[in-house]
Amino acid sequence: MTETVLSLENVVKRYGGLAAVDGLSFAVARGEIFGFLGPNGAGKTTTLRMILGIIPPTAGRITVLDSISAIPVRHRLGYLPEERGLYRKMRAAETIAYFAHLRGVPARAAKKKAHELLERFGLADFARAKNEALSKGMAQKVQLLATIAHEPELLILDEPFSGLDPINQTTLEALIRDLKAEGRTIIFSTHVMQHAERLCDRFLIIASGRKRFEGDLAAARAAFPPRLLLRTRDPVDPLAAAPGVREIVALGETTDGEREYEIVLERGADPQLVLKAAFEAGIRLSSFERAGASLHDIFVALAGEKEDEQACAMKEAAE
Amino acid sequence: MKSALLIAWREYRQYIFSRGFLLFLVLFPLGVLFVGATVGYLERAKPARSFVVFDETGRYVDAIDAELERRRKRAILSAWDAYVRLAAEPEALEAALIPEPFAPGPANHARVEAFFAAGLDAAAAALAPYLRENAPAFIEPRRQFERLPLPEEARAAKNLADAAERLRPYLLDEKRPPGAKEPLFAAVLIPAGFSRAPDAPSAEYWSRNLTDPALESVIADALDYALQREAAGDYGLSAAALEEIAGIDAPLESFRPDKADGEAALTLRDRIETSLPAMMTYMLLVVVFGVGNLLLTNTIEERSNKIVEVLLSSVTAGELMMGKLVGIAAVGLTMPAIFVVGGLVMAFVAPGGNEFAAEAAGALFGSHLIWVYLFYFFCAYAIFAMIFLAIGAMSNSLQDAQSFMGPVMLVVFLPLPFMFMVYQNPNGLIASILTWIPIYTPYAAMMRAAAGPPLWEIVGATALMLAFAIALARVMGRIFRNAILQSAPPKARDVWRLAKKEAR
Repeated sequence: MTETVLSLENVVKRYGGLAAVDGLSFAVARGEIFGFLGPNGAGKTTTLRMILGIIPPTAGRITVLDSISAIPVRHRLGYLPEERGLYRKMRAAETIAYFAHLRGVPARAAKKKAHELLERFGLADFARAKNEALSKGMAQKVQLLATIAHEPELLILDEPFSGLDPINQTTLEALIRDLKAEGRTIIFSTHVMQHAERLCDRFLIIASGRKRFEGDLAAARAAFPPRLLLRTRDPVDPLAAAPGVREIVALGETTDGEREYEIVLERGADPQLVLKAAFEAGIRLSSFERAGASLHDIFVALAGEKEDEQACAMKEAAE
Repeated sequence: MKSALLIAWREYRQYIFSRGFLLFLVLFPLGVLFVGATVGYLERAKPARSFVVFDETGRYVDAIDAELERRRKRAILSAWDAYVRLAAEPEALEAALIPEPFAPGPANHARVEAFFAAGLDAAAAALAPYLRENAPAFIEPRRQFERLPLPEEARAAKNLADAAERLRPYLLDEKRPPGAKEPLFAAVLIPAGFSRAPDAPSAEYWSRNLTDPALESVIADALDYALQREAAGDYGLSAAALEEIAGIDAPLESFRPDKADGEAALTLRDRIETSLPAMMTYMLLVVVFGVGNLLLTNTIEERSNKIVEVLLSSVTAGELMMGKLVGIAAVGLTMPAIFVVGGLVMAFVAPGGNEFAAEAAGALFGSHLIWVYLFYFFCAYAIFAMIFLAIGAMSNSLQDAQSFMGPVMLVVFLPLPFMFMVYQNPNGLIASILTWIPIYTPYAAMMRAAAGPPLWEIVGATALMLAFAIALARVMGRIFRNAILQSAPPKARDVWRLAKKEAR
């Protein structure tokens, strides 16, 4: 049986009349990389702050590492906030050691660990450099190292990729995989779907403080309506009447004069029936393919402005 | 608690081990020595201020010269006493081996006359057996004032107005009196009818240097004394009798009624003890102001840098607040502590300073008062520091903090004008009123500590202050916790909302 390291049950956070988080429930298993996805203002940071005990929930229950509050287990947690900074006058190694010491690592061991991490991540030469002298990328690395120096069981990274160049993004992805390999649980929020797609075992999508999806990519794709991409010079209107076709979207004209269409099908519809209908209507197809929904598509559909019918259906499917 | 101490230690280290602070510690005493030495040198090197007297009566020039001479003798005697204290063997001073009038003592008329009757050579000879090894010779202080003869053209003046007109180019340094290296400092014009009669014309003092009133004071004293002598003559009193009367110094000793019989005479330590409350209150104000600024800038940095969110994931808001309060308090106390200890060390080391240093150390550390001061010092610090911390938590920049700081600084410094009244009358009405206003209780209680205020008043006001401090800590703590993570700084009108309840 998988051990749950974090669970939220009907968690609500209100600021005056506004519900920043509204009845949110989800669970994270030990050792998984859990993506916490949502558009800006969806309630991600508020949720993470509640998990860490920085702000209290208005209602609901949060259990972290078998504790009903993060405070008693905070030395087993690591947190990299979205908006982050360093003490400008502190040295890089000193910063990492300070935060590790603050999270329960004895001073001498914290200092040793700081130098080890800087060495491992190619910053050994900057150990004595003041933070204000570091480049943005190096400063972000120092911040991340300060987050993991006390070897937390549960690591919460809020938008860890923001502000990093592609090389450092790759390095960070590798680090997250390494941490998972060491048995740590990682929750990270992002709105860059490629990272989530590559890294996450499971993910949660929230919008307007509510859960829209929780599960893995395969489940999301399975629940997402199938789509067809086709190219032709002929009009495709006859296909609207084909069984299972929900919507036909014209995507544009190709350079050789053909038109490209996306056909959105009902859940469970058979694409072969659309192909048959095209054949019967004399539509000459130069391309016909089934398109798998990307996480980006799923995200846009689920975290769009309104919780439309489809999103509700997805939510039901997920639950 | 351990986390709070770690935060406190980091805060402390950040300031105390900074290059700037260490440099300040080294440079400050050097700066003081440099300024002291420079001021001393410039004072010694200052040329005598020259003046001329146009006296239509012909009677008062001698009186002015006599007053100058009298003051000069006192200045020489004072310099001699200071020299003896530094140059003589301490044992000789303690055992009062140096004969009078050459041993340091009060500069009264009789001693001045006896000293100069014997002369400086006799004084040096009397001191010689008791001098420290390699002690330098006594150097007479330079003259402060010098009367010059009237320039030829001023002597021919028909009246005061004419004399003033003729002397004007000299006073404006367009001309110099014959042989003068420096500009003429002043001119004194005495009219023909000058006397003590109520309708007599006034003497005139002309000078561009109105900010230096020393010479004016000498001239005024000289003319006063001359008129008094004339009056004494009119009453049939001889000049010698008047001299004797003027030389009378009434012996007066001060006593404290609250001390046991036999020990009631006012001592140096008593005097130090009475000025300690004022010194401590001043130090409190300096520390509250300095430390308040540190807390403010430091909290603003953590808030605007977003470090605070990482900190709050590692420690509670209460621990963070406590750590900052303790760390910055330690910073605030380090500087005065270094100066107090350094000052005492220097006083002990300085020749002749042992007595003062011992008395000052005794007054500071030898009674329960130091604990009273420390208690109120920390209470006042805690009250104001919490306010500064809450303001820092609500501000992304010093500019944001300005709107909150104005009223707070007004409250911090409001009692200053009243503190002198409390110092002079520690058990008066103003002292009582300030004692019962919780934010001023520490100031007032410190000022009154040595004056034996009614116990019930101090206990009652202190209890009220502690209750106020606890309530303030709760409110400021709520503001700190509620505001510190808000990305946009709250407006002044939001403060009440932030203080009212926890963000839930």
